[in-house]
This record gives sequence, C-alpha cells and structure tokens, in this order.
Amino acid sequence: MILSSILQLWNSAWPAGVTMLGLGSGFALVLLIASIKLKVVVDPKIEQIHEALPNLDCGACGFAGCGQYAKAILANPELLGKCAPGGPDTAAAIANILNLQVSDSGPQQRPIVHCRAHTADKTFLAKYQGISSCTAANALANAQACKFGCVGLSDCTRACRFDALHIVDGLATVDYAKCTGCTACSKACPRNLIEMVPFSHENMMTVACNSKETGKSTRSMCKVGCIGCGICAKQTDTFAVEDNIARMDYTRYQESEQTQTAMDKCPTGVILYRGPTAPPPREPGKKPAPAKKAD
Amino acid sequence: MHTLNILIMGFISIVIVNNLVFTKFLGICPYLGVSGRIDMAFGMGMAVTFVVTLSGTLTWLIDHLILMPYGLEVTRYVCFILVIAGAVQLVEMYIRRFFPSLYDSFGIFLPLITTNCAILGLCLFINLYGIDNLVEAVVLSFGAGIGFTMAICIMAGIRETLDMADVPACLKGAPITLITAGLLALAFMGFAGMIRIG
Repeated sequence: MILSSILQLWNSAWPAGVTMLGLGSGFALVLLIASIKLKVVVDPKIEQIHEALPNLDCGACGFAGCGQYAKAILANPELLGKCAPGGPDTAAAIANILNLQVSDSGPQQRPIVHCRAHTADKTFLAKYQGISSCTAANALANAQACKFGCVGLSDCTRACRFDALHIVDGLATVDYAKCTGCTACSKACPRNLIEMVPFSHENMMTVACNSKETGKSTRSMCKVGCIGCGICAKQTDTFAVEDNIARMDYTRYQESEQTQTAMDKCPTGVILYRGPTAPPPREPGKKPAPAKKAD
Repeated sequence: MHTLNILIMGFISIVIVNNLVFTKFLGICPYLGVSGRIDMAFGMGMAVTFVVTLSGTLTWLIDHLILMPYGLEVTRYVCFILVIAGAVQLVEMYIRRFFPSLYDSFGIFLPLITTNCAILGLCLFINLYGIDNLVEAVVLSFGAGIGFTMAICIMAGIRETLDMADVPACLKGAPITLITAGLLALAFMGFAGMIRIG
C-alpha cells in the first residue's frame, strides 16, 4: 500500500526532474559558451585599487567615480594622489599595489571661506526672493550690497557629500572635523570664495574677505571687510595687498610674532584663524587692541 | 491579412492598453529605481526589451514543446525563472563586453532584471491569454518590452523636469514620484477597453 503510493509519486515526479535537469544543463551549456566567447579580461589590480579607494564617488580626482579613477591610475600612474578624501594613506596603499614609491605630497588641502560676514554684518540693498541658489542670486543685480562676499544660499552645502559645510547665520562655515578636502565646495561657489589651502598647521591664519572694492566702499557695505590698508603687509611680507585686498602667501606660511601682530593690529579684524580648533575671531566692529608700548 | 491584423492589434494592446507597468503594476522597482535620467532609463528599457523578447519566445517554446505535451505544467514557474535568469546572464555578459560604460551605469540593476516581475508576468500572461502561435508570442513579448521602455522613459522625462519644480518639502523625493506614477497610470486608464485580448 505504502510502497505503491511511493511508486506512484516517483512515477509522476521523475519526468519533471528529468525536464528540469535537461533544461538546466542546456542553459548551463549556452552560458558556458557565452562566457568563453564574451570574456572580459579585467586586470586584478583594478579591483585591488578600487578596494583601496574610499568608494565615495565624490569626483575630487576629476573622474566620474572611483571605478573610473582606478582604471585611469593603472593606465597612467602619474594620476596617483588625486584622491582627496583618501589622502596620503590611500595613495600609499595604491602605490604599494602598483609597486611604486609615493613621494610626500605635503599637507592636506582644506577649504577656507574668504568671507567672515554674518547676516548682521552685511548690508542689503533689497530682499532677494528668487530661486534659492547662490548661482541664481549671483546672476542678478546684487540684493546683497557686497558682490564678493558669501551669498549664503547653500550651493556649497548642497555640493558637499560629507555634511561638512553649513550656512551659519548667512555665512558658509566649514566643519573641519568632517571635511575630506574633496574640493566640491570650491567648485560650487559662484563667487570663488572657497580656496583650497594646504593646512600645514592645525589652524591657518587667513584674510577672510574677498572684496576688491576700495576701502571706503567696502566699509560702507560690510562691517568686517578687508579695506586694503596694508597694515598687515607692513608687519610681515607673508601678507601682500593687491586689488584692495590683503592675501596670505600660503607657500611661505608660518606663524610668527609678526603675523600675530598683524592679526591684532588689523583695523577690521578680518585676519583670523580657520581650522578645527580655531579661536573665535574678534567681535565685528571691535577696535583692535592698542599697540603695546615698549616698556 | 487577418493574422497581420491580430499581430498589430496585439502589439498596440500590450504597449498601450494593457501596458504591464501602467495597468498591471508589474516591474515597479526598475520603473522607480532607474528612472532618474532619461538616457539610463532608455538603456534599461532596451535591456528589458531584449530579455523579455528572448525569454517570452523561449518560454512559449518550452511551454508548448516540452511542458504541455508531457503534462508538466506544475514546473512552469521554475522553468520560466530558469529561462529568465539565463537570458539576463547572457545580456549582462554581452553589455559588459560591448558597452562597458552602460554596464557601469546600470550597476546592480542589470542582474536585478532577473527578478523583474514584468518579465515573468509577461511569460505567464502569454499562457493565460492562450496564445498558440509562436509569431504572436514573439510580437507580444517584444511589445511588452517596448511598453516598459515607453513607461520608464515617460517617467524619467517627468522626473527630470520635476527636479526643477518647487515641490512641497513633505512630498520631495519618493512621495512625488509615486504620485506621478499613479497619475500616469490613471492617464493610461483612458485606453482601457479599446482592445481586448484573450
């Protein structure tokens, strides 16, 4: 009784099994032939380099993604070290895969926003109500009086893949703890306010203004703009004034007593530190500390 | 003449009137997942068209030459999945060999065509509609692929324009996409009943 029912089951089941087996092997054969005919030879090094990269697809290297960059490095090893988020560690790891020596690329690049004007420090000629984008606002006649300073409509924030840039009270502010130096923000800013600077020190001294107006008109528009007075340049030659704007020469960056004096003497307080542990800048409108008399 | 008429009617029916995406709501995952940009959507549509034509034809052949004569209809689902998976593998190899940039942009979505319910759905619908002619099966499967391509391209076009629109914050992203999908399906309901198959 039991035996006959098992036999019946077997009799009705085996054709299905045979069919499946036949179909399966048929398809396996087709796929086998196809895999031989359509074989793509991939250099295993590409895979290794791709694994060594941070896989963020941020585009800092100038390629569409990490996969394309990995292929490009293999074809042209000179492209090594373009990965900003990975930094020197990634470059060393890739060099190791390619049996290359990596030269010291120097300090890492980090963005510095050349503006320090918050909403309260700026002058507005009109209220901007257009598309909420710096590029759009920049294309119009300026609602904000200063046509060099931060617009504060978040183009850089949207470009940042690492949540490292925020508009704080009308001013783009970099969160250096999260920043990877991918340069996306400096490309996004329509006013070219964001400069990539080699951070040789933890905090870097900078002139946080981009206004090329004369001192008088800068002062009329902004409480904290650089007026190009040249007091800093008189203290030390790492500062230079050109087009009514003082600039720090980052190729010769060093912190000395002279730079500190220049910072203290700056009449508008536009020279300040930027970095992960930067001290707060001088209050807007506050007069510089009186020059120390030689005792 | 009669055969040609049936073929044309069947094609129009599966593309517009009984579109798998709009009326059966099959293949929704690639329809929403890969419809961000119109060129990628078109590529996806072409890949699906190829797979669905191949697997629709093959499954009809297997169904009529092997399964039905030997009374093995119970294994239909398994066999069809086998055919689809094999066809997708074939397409993947082909695209990787000849269109590497398309392969890169598809990423995970290419192997996921295997689980695209529109394809299995079409293979089963061919049986459900009682198609007993190979040419009709081929035309129907090809039409299903074209219908899917049309749907995903319309969606991609709308979503590209939608990026510029001022969408309320609570509807940004997935909600507005789903609302768009619903409205599109509603619009295509206007064709319902024009042609009937089966």
